[in-house]
Amino acid sequence: MIPAPFDYEVAESVEHAVDLLGSREDAKLLAGGHSLIPLLRLRFTRPALLVDIGRIDELRYLRDAGEKLAIGGMTRHHDIQNDPLVQEHCPVVSYAAGLIGDPQVRHRGTIGGSLAHADPAADFPAVLTALDAEVVIRGPEGERTVPVGEFVTGVFGTVLGPQDVLTEIRVPKLGPTGWAYLKFTRRAQDWATVGVTAIVRRSNGTIDSAAIAFTNMAPKPGRAKAAEQALTAPDDIEAAAEASLEGTDPPSDTQGSADYRRHLAKVLVRRALEEAISR
Amino acid sequence: MGIGFSTYLEMCGLAPSRVLGAIRYGAGGWDAATIRFLPTGTVQVLIGTSPHGQSHVTTFSQIVAERLGIPYDDVEVLHGDTAVAPLGMDTYGSRSLTVGGVAVYHAAERIIEKARKIAAHQLEVGEDELEYENGTFSGNGNSLTTKELALQAWTAHNLPDGMEPGLEASFVYDPPNFSWPSGTHIAVVEVDTETGNVDLIRYVAVDDVGSVINPKVVEGQIHGGVAQGIAQALWEEAVYDEDGNLVTGSMMNYMVPSAAELPSYELGRTETPSPTNPLGVKGVGETGTIASTAAVMNAVVDALVPFGVTDLDMPATPERVWRAIEAAKT
Repeated sequence: MIPAPFDYEVAESVEHAVDLLGSREDAKLLAGGHSLIPLLRLRFTRPALLVDIGRIDELRYLRDAGEKLAIGGMTRHHDIQNDPLVQEHCPVVSYAAGLIGDPQVRHRGTIGGSLAHADPAADFPAVLTALDAEVVIRGPEGERTVPVGEFVTGVFGTVLGPQDVLTEIRVPKLGPTGWAYLKFTRRAQDWATVGVTAIVRRSNGTIDSAAIAFTNMAPKPGRAKAAEQALTAPDDIEAAAEASLEGTDPPSDTQGSADYRRHLAKVLVRRALEEAISR
Repeated sequence: MGIGFSTYLEMCGLAPSRVLGAIRYGAGGWDAATIRFLPTGTVQVLIGTSPHGQSHVTTFSQIVAERLGIPYDDVEVLHGDTAVAPLGMDTYGSRSLTVGGVAVYHAAERIIEKARKIAAHQLEVGEDELEYENGTFSGNGNSLTTKELALQAWTAHNLPDGMEPGLEASFVYDPPNFSWPSGTHIAVVEVDTETGNVDLIRYVAVDDVGSVINPKVVEGQIHGGVAQGIAQALWEEAVYDEDGNLVTGSMMNYMVPSAAELPSYELGRTETPSPTNPLGVKGVGETGTIASTAAVMNAVVDALVPFGVTDLDMPATPERVWRAIEAAKT
């Protein structure tokens, strides 16, 4: 439970962090540390250098950017949960933030860290996939923007290069929309056995569009496209739930078998759609 | 929704040494205590049972303070080091109070017995003419406290002929019989029959652990025991993979529940003193673990009876409950 030896540098700015990451083979960013520190202690990872970006205040913000909300990569879950802008324009993001871990985790863990760690059972990657959010990355070649759905490539895998820093998440404002995030856990602080995000836009009793995304039903967060297309009216909920499993590849572990997760996913999709439509 | 009952009678206060001998157990069932008055008037109590969260120090200090009529804060309980307290068995089987605590009580009686001899000598009255109440011996219009007598015993300036100086006594207590805590616990659960999730929404426990020395300690013991028993029914499990590797080897996946998963318990009590020991105590540590597992499992099965489920393995995980409901459909 003691990490292998590593060097430690504090980055003063994003540019400084990019430079520090380039200064050594096998350097790694330290954000809130709530995933990285346990991995270090278990020696699942042994970076030569940790670059601490925890003191870069320019990465910690929540801003109104017109059609979107801009969230700095180092913004803590607690701040996202309680921010009036997020609560007004993206309430599902605020709600999901409040379900992560426990108060201590929410005060230290960051949205950028959660995305960059890319745990299939983490809440933010799936919720942000449903919202068509984008990730802003700064590296040695400058800045680029990647949709969250393409940002995560697999279990703990992302498109981040060795010198890249995730600086911002841009979340489209939802407008008048029904939403739900259902997270099924054995205990309050556990990772999601399965999670479902549902976003439903309606007009005059019909459904214009729906976005459904799973937590922990595949190596990376994914949209249930078949279910989204099956949902054209509130009566279609059952059919959408049935169609939702297409493309999933759930794990089997002590929280539940893959079979159980497939069953649970259908139940949760139905309930999430019912809840979203009732909002 | 399901309601489950569990009524139990526990064999406690392990154990009469003769009984252990009859079943070829490798040790006796007694336990030991020593009480030592220091010249300052404070008291050291050496005990053979050692606490790991059961509040021995609190409870045993109360027994000594009350019997010897001294302030609670003047009692120091020493344990866990065989260089200090070499004689004793173990903390197990809810026996610390019913055996070790009774040894403390008897050691205190021996202190009083010797102190009475010194008091009678110094007050020039017969031993049986002395009244003893709250640490004070009175007779012939005069009185002496246990603290004063402790100093007299230490200076040894004026003791009865042939009496050893000092005020210290030991007692090794071998219980003549077991004690028998009993009770009934009731659990109420809500089962989500689609996900299989079990939500424990109410828990009522009524126990009779005999005379109660510290109600808060007793409540704490019952809370802890009930939580452990519920955990066995709903969460905790040692799971092995196909190759025999333990896959629940950390606190992250062994599934110990937290306060967030458990309801506020509703506790009730009847107090029937045990006739087998002078304190009237029966033991409390395990009552919760005995009753709660069965009460919760009975409640879960009660909820599932309408679906044709009459039996379920522990723990009743969401997946196991869901599979049982599915299996009963076919």
